[in-house]
Amino acid sequence: MKTKNIFLILIITVASIACIIAGCSKNFLDVPAQGQQTKDEVSKDPNAASNLVLGAYNALYFGGFGNTTVGLELCLTVDVASDDADKGSSPSDQQATAGKMDNFTVDANVSYLNDLWNGHYTAIARVNQALSVLNDATFDPGLKNRLIGETRFLRGYFYFNLVRLFGGVPLILRVPTIADQTNPAFVTRTSSDSVYAAIIADFQFAVDNLPLRGGPGATEGRVNKGTAEAYLAKVYLYQKNYQKAYDLTTDIMTSGKFSLVPYPYYAQVFREHSVLANGVPVGGNNNSESMFEVQAAKNNACDAISKLYSNGQGPRATKGWINVFGNYTYNGDLGFGLNTPSADLANAYEANDTRKAGTIIFVQPTGGANAGTFLWDGFRIPTQDSVQNPRYNYKAYHSPVAETVACNGPDDKDDKPKDIRLMRFADVLLINAEAAVQIGNTGAAQIALDSIRHRAGLASVPATINNIWKERRVELAMECDRFFDVIRQGRGVQVFGPLGFTANKNEVFPIPQNQIDLSGGKLKQNPGYN
Amino acid sequence: MKKKQHPSVFWENCAYSKITRVMKLTIAIMLFACLHVSAGGFSQEKVSLDLQSVSLKKVLSTIEKKSSFRFLYNESIVSNQPAVSIVAANEDVKSVLHKIFANTHIDYKILDNNLIVLKEGTGAEVAAEALSPNIKVTGTVTSAQGGSPLLGVSVTVKGKGIGTATDVNGNFTLNNVLETDVLVFSSVGFETLEVPVAGQATMNVVLQTSNRELDQVVVVGYGTARRRDLTGAVASIKGADLASQPVLTATQALQGKAAGVQIISSGAPNSNPAVRIRGTGSMLAGANPLYVVDGVLTDDITNINNADIVTMDVLKDASSTAIYGVRAANGVIIITTKKGRAGKMQISYDGTVGVKEAAHLVNMAGSKQYTGYINEASRYYGSTDDLVDTTLLKNGYNTDWYDAILRQALQQNNNISISGGSDKINYFLSAGYLIDNGIVKNNDFKRFTLRSNNEYKISSKLKATTLISFSNGILDDVDLSSASGNAYRATPLIPSKVNGKYGNTSTFQNVGNPVLDIDKNYNRGIDNRLQAAATLEYKITKWLTFNSNLGVDLDFYKNTQYKYQYFADSTVFIQSGGNQQQPVSTLAMTKNDANRWIWDNTLTATKKFGDHNFRLLVGTTAEKFNFNRLYGYRQGVPADQSQWYLNTGLDSTQKNNGSGDKWSRNSYIGRLNYDYKDKYLITATLRADGSSRLPSYTRWGYFPSVAAAWNISSEDFMKDNKTFDYLKLRASWGKVGNDNIPSSAFLNLATSNLQYGYLGNGIAFTNVIDPNLKWEETEEIDLGVDCSVLEKRLTGTVDLYHKKVNGALINIVPVGALGDQDNIILTNAASILNKGIELGLNWADKVGKDWSYYVNANVAFNHNEASGIPVGLADGNIAGQGFVTLSPSGQPIASYNVLKVLGVFQSQADIDNYKNKDGKVIQPNAVPGDFKYEDKNGDGAITADDRQLVGSYQPKVIYGINGGVNYKNFDLSIGTYGTSGGKIYNAKKALRDNANQLENMESDVVTNRWTTVNKTNTEPRASVTQLPASTYFVENGSFFRINNLTIGYTLPAKSLEKAKITKLRVYVAAQNLATFTKYKGFTPEFSSVTAQASALKGDPLSATNQSNLGITNAGVDANTYPTVRTWVFGLNLGF
Repeated sequence: MKTKNIFLILIITVASIACIIAGCSKNFLDVPAQGQQTKDEVSKDPNAASNLVLGAYNALYFGGFGNTTVGLELCLTVDVASDDADKGSSPSDQQATAGKMDNFTVDANVSYLNDLWNGHYTAIARVNQALSVLNDATFDPGLKNRLIGETRFLRGYFYFNLVRLFGGVPLILRVPTIADQTNPAFVTRTSSDSVYAAIIADFQFAVDNLPLRGGPGATEGRVNKGTAEAYLAKVYLYQKNYQKAYDLTTDIMTSGKFSLVPYPYYAQVFREHSVLANGVPVGGNNNSESMFEVQAAKNNACDAISKLYSNGQGPRATKGWINVFGNYTYNGDLGFGLNTPSADLANAYEANDTRKAGTIIFVQPTGGANAGTFLWDGFRIPTQDSVQNPRYNYKAYHSPVAETVACNGPDDKDDKPKDIRLMRFADVLLINAEAAVQIGNTGAAQIALDSIRHRAGLASVPATINNIWKERRVELAMECDRFFDVIRQGRGVQVFGPLGFTANKNEVFPIPQNQIDLSGGKLKQNPGYN
Repeated sequence: MKKKQHPSVFWENCAYSKITRVMKLTIAIMLFACLHVSAGGFSQEKVSLDLQSVSLKKVLSTIEKKSSFRFLYNESIVSNQPAVSIVAANEDVKSVLHKIFANTHIDYKILDNNLIVLKEGTGAEVAAEALSPNIKVTGTVTSAQGGSPLLGVSVTVKGKGIGTATDVNGNFTLNNVLETDVLVFSSVGFETLEVPVAGQATMNVVLQTSNRELDQVVVVGYGTARRRDLTGAVASIKGADLASQPVLTATQALQGKAAGVQIISSGAPNSNPAVRIRGTGSMLAGANPLYVVDGVLTDDITNINNADIVTMDVLKDASSTAIYGVRAANGVIIITTKKGRAGKMQISYDGTVGVKEAAHLVNMAGSKQYTGYINEASRYYGSTDDLVDTTLLKNGYNTDWYDAILRQALQQNNNISISGGSDKINYFLSAGYLIDNGIVKNNDFKRFTLRSNNEYKISSKLKATTLISFSNGILDDVDLSSASGNAYRATPLIPSKVNGKYGNTSTFQNVGNPVLDIDKNYNRGIDNRLQAAATLEYKITKWLTFNSNLGVDLDFYKNTQYKYQYFADSTVFIQSGGNQQQPVSTLAMTKNDANRWIWDNTLTATKKFGDHNFRLLVGTTAEKFNFNRLYGYRQGVPADQSQWYLNTGLDSTQKNNGSGDKWSRNSYIGRLNYDYKDKYLITATLRADGSSRLPSYTRWGYFPSVAAAWNISSEDFMKDNKTFDYLKLRASWGKVGNDNIPSSAFLNLATSNLQYGYLGNGIAFTNVIDPNLKWEETEEIDLGVDCSVLEKRLTGTVDLYHKKVNGALINIVPVGALGDQDNIILTNAASILNKGIELGLNWADKVGKDWSYYVNANVAFNHNEASGIPVGLADGNIAGQGFVTLSPSGQPIASYNVLKVLGVFQSQADIDNYKNKDGKVIQPNAVPGDFKYEDKNGDGAITADDRQLVGSYQPKVIYGINGGVNYKNFDLSIGTYGTSGGKIYNAKKALRDNANQLENMESDVVTNRWTTVNKTNTEPRASVTQLPASTYFVENGSFFRINNLTIGYTLPAKSLEKAKITKLRVYVAAQNLATFTKYKGFTPEFSSVTAQASALKGDPLSATNQSNLGITNAGVDANTYPTVRTWVFGLNLGF
């Protein structure tokens, strides 16, 4: 009997231990996710808010031949469509995509459109996620508003691209859930006016809450008050609200935080490193005229860059190239040779315009074994018999050896850490000039226009609208501005007509057919596309 | 109600009575116990008792406790007796018994070994059969398999209530036996044997293992059951059938043996075969069954030594598997390992040695064929130049690249085991060493296993069991996708290796030399795995047992990958140049630690109320899993293997990574078995599973099942039936689940390390998730018939099933505005149906004294269909062709989605006349000799929209026929397996690189190609570009295979006695002897799991990649390891 009792006690003990460890313990099944933070955990992390904002910036890298914000496919869409650039590369390469952009035969199935759509909405989702944490976070209100300002700026920026590409689009200003898959707000279009209103609200919040460049709390590479003012001014220019555009640009110009890289250093604007001009460093990444710039870096994961941006637009060989840099032999070409500057663009430059050589790599027609075009770092582009196209985009060039080497070494063409210039002070000056003309302040307009032309090594011309528009083209060539600019000016047929532009259709691109299909037909196509 | 029991069938009734299986075991245990306590025959033992008005049962158990006497009785006899009062002070047992039984209707008889048998009667000791001239019979009982002495065999005199049991040496003695009596020898798992005494005083008896399955014990999860008591669909395979086959994993040996169980094995060493029980039941959550090894749940059984397995029980229907709830949707395979038997120590050695070779190779074009074909092809592109310089033929090279990378490989397997036991401890210790080299060079595998299974009888109530297994596996892997892929593509004009220098295929055609690739890449995985279980079983009362089982599974995996440095120069290659080089050496090391523990606690109650038998199991289980990975990488590590540590590399090149996983599961289980008179059986199961992988509000799932069976043959009206020895109808319904989804997939998790320039690392929530994600739920109905006819020589089983998976996981593509970065959301939106019929027949008989044989055949028909999928899940990506499989609604999972070839254009007129209804020429760019594709949508052009679904890898029928013959000391067995109705996408053929026009092709493609003089309609003209995905690449995947053939000879026991050897059998066996198939690739049997999945061993995170599962891309033959044929010589030795 006694032993039996002992065993009974044993069983009860074992069972209750089992119960405590497993069955009855409520916490047993609450196993947190390993190695990845949940929203709750992120909210508790003091650095989380700031990290989420960086995560939203990171969406600027979306590129390659996939989801894209400001990467290669954006160039292959808006620059190739414009009169600034041709598709480039070999005749068959990207014919069904960039090729259709080039001659305005673009249809809703061109993959870039879906990539741009998804890329921008993915970026917007990151922004909205960051905002939902930021709004609930409790810390220094100044810092909080600065971070919200940066994030809302990014959202405004992404919508500014979308509305210019597609017209009215679904306006998503909160974190989506799976249920939103069938939510009308996510599958029907909001009018472009409403989208612009949201963009203005976001930019205005950023203007009100961001520090001046170099001011307290500001970090070079993050957006600042000037950035937000510049984009807000640009939006007002598109909205033809010239007074506001003028006021905002004037505010930037008088802030003293931005200035043009001096003559004759235009080409230096697009290089990674600065050079000394009279003992003063000029140009390079985040130079004095940088308003907004994608920050690239070299890292082990090769993911702090916009993939293929430089490689996609790099000069393309038809026969083998060899370049010797010191003790390194570079074997091969520089890229796919897409988005090549058009002859029309080359002809648009006045004689002695220093910007021409800074914008276009001209391939020499003939020469000899060691002849060709020597780029600023000594890289030799052979003559036309070994090269696919006659011209290439110099602004996208990143030296394989004289600038930060790609993460997998100089042969790694895809991962070049190139900072993409999204807006420069030159644009601000030209907005200022245009707005000034429109509000009748020709004096101010002339000053702004002159500063641009003098920096390019050119004499003054009268500050007329047409002269300013002409100046915009050559100053901002190959920077993804031309197409939107011409549409804004209402000159689509006039400028792009010879390329195949159809009025009341090609002002915007078609809504991706994929998205229409996924919406079950609720998302309506732009006029003229079916 | 009361069935009269004739004394002559007392024992038999005992065995087949309504006493449950446990009772029978109890008897067996008692018998063992008695044998050890009885020192010398009839005892004069004395007992003291003081019991007032207690049940007879209590009295008996008290005597059992206080003496060495044990009672043997049918419970119904004792339970109906009046209460007893007895006082005895140190009285002779015999007189005590007399007092007790005097007023009862019970007869008792004291047998040898102090066993007292009770039966209905008058209450007197049965008188000794004094009148008969009786003799004393002694003898030994041994097993026909292995010749070892059998302990605990019941030896009874037919028609009389007397008997005994054999001792540890298999010996028995029976007194008072008439010369005319017949002795009945019976033991669980053996054929019952009746031997007339016929005046012999010594009888040596050999028992055959039972082929009658009805009384075999089947493991059903948290318990066992006799096959005749089953209500669900369970197939069992004995360890002996597994061990005889020279295969690495036990599941491979299961192939063709169980109806409805499809085994897809690979020729690669250390591969875990894909197993599909009743079709493919999931797309994204894994379709392999759950394995339960001695109570420990696992997905990988490559650590288990086949020689250690006693049985494998395959639970097929939902009512059987429901006890495993949320893990059970794909079926459950329960593996039970060997334990020691009480008795003399037995030492056995089993060994095989053999060779492996590729069972079938694809014949590639030789130099001349190759050169001629490519140059002919170049003419079609308007070229007048030869693409291949014909002067190269003068070099005389005609390389067969498969010859260059393949070999005959060694297989060797050695197992030694020691087992035995006493009344207190049973032990089983085994060690195994396996060398199983791959047929691809440098692909070697070695495995050492050690197992110790012990049982401790602490008291008559308490038993402890420990099962410990350790395995150490070392796999030297090769990258098959590059080695085999390049061997297929490389030109025969370049030699593989001459005088230590490699042929440079890369300069010639941009394909790496596969031999060099194998030589310069080192990839070793070392897996140490400890699997252990400890069980405590306590009989609280006669009818109530508590069981606590703690299992652990620790897996330590280390992978080292080293890439040797070499340059495309003349020290390495015969001719320098090209891009096959490794300018810098790299070392990558991965360490994965996985551990899990599982703790089950159950209570089992067995009660009988009249003819109603109840057995109730309730319990809890808890399980926890942890995983941790560490990865390190550096370049520039010296080539000497002694330097392969990260510290010797360049620290500027270092990379590291890591990840982890954790989950837990908590479950409650309940099962009620009820039967009435052994005729009507009901099993009801309920399992509640809580999983940490799911959100708290949906984490609990309830998985019920009920099953009923009717033993028609037990009915009175069947008494006179001569046809059926046994006939049972079964019906079951159940719900089970599959929660094999990544941990925390329902949570929105931040992606970290999103660097932005030099500003720092950001994080982001990048995906939209389904917060209500849950397990897949399978509902299954099963109808079955089991029967046995012709004196149990023929047994058969038929099962009909209908298995519907609801809420099957699928990736839906969200609208872009949701901003989901990976553009897929995992959710429970699809359904999968599998329905079919399974048939199994087993015939076993003896012919004369010397011959015995068996044949079994099984066949299963399955229909698979997915539904509820809006777009279809595309997979099977072939470079240049896109996705070639699609899992859409209304079709089998992973159906091929390709263009349909209508024939070959024979002339330009054919091309011009091939128009759609609007008169548009459909293939204007074609030339004669090109394929003519069907313009399915009639739009006048061949586009991706013209693709159609043309079948899948899933067979419609699987079958196996197995047989064996024993003649005297010779034995022969054969196993076959086949499938029908499945199709294969010959992706090797399809994977031509458009940029590389110089790839080799199969000899048949060259020989049969269309030319102006060979106007075939099935093979296109010579071409150097890739063809689009079409039915040309979809081939018939049906096959029939002679899986195993074994011929053995057991040396006569007498000849071995001097050497103290109890058994010696020698045999030769061939595995995968011959395959009959129309498929032109290496093998119709392969799993399309991405090559080198072994590098992800133990990694639960790898399951998130759908292609890794080999489900939605099943049948796409891209980098298949050639199946192997193995010839072995083997030896079974027993001491």
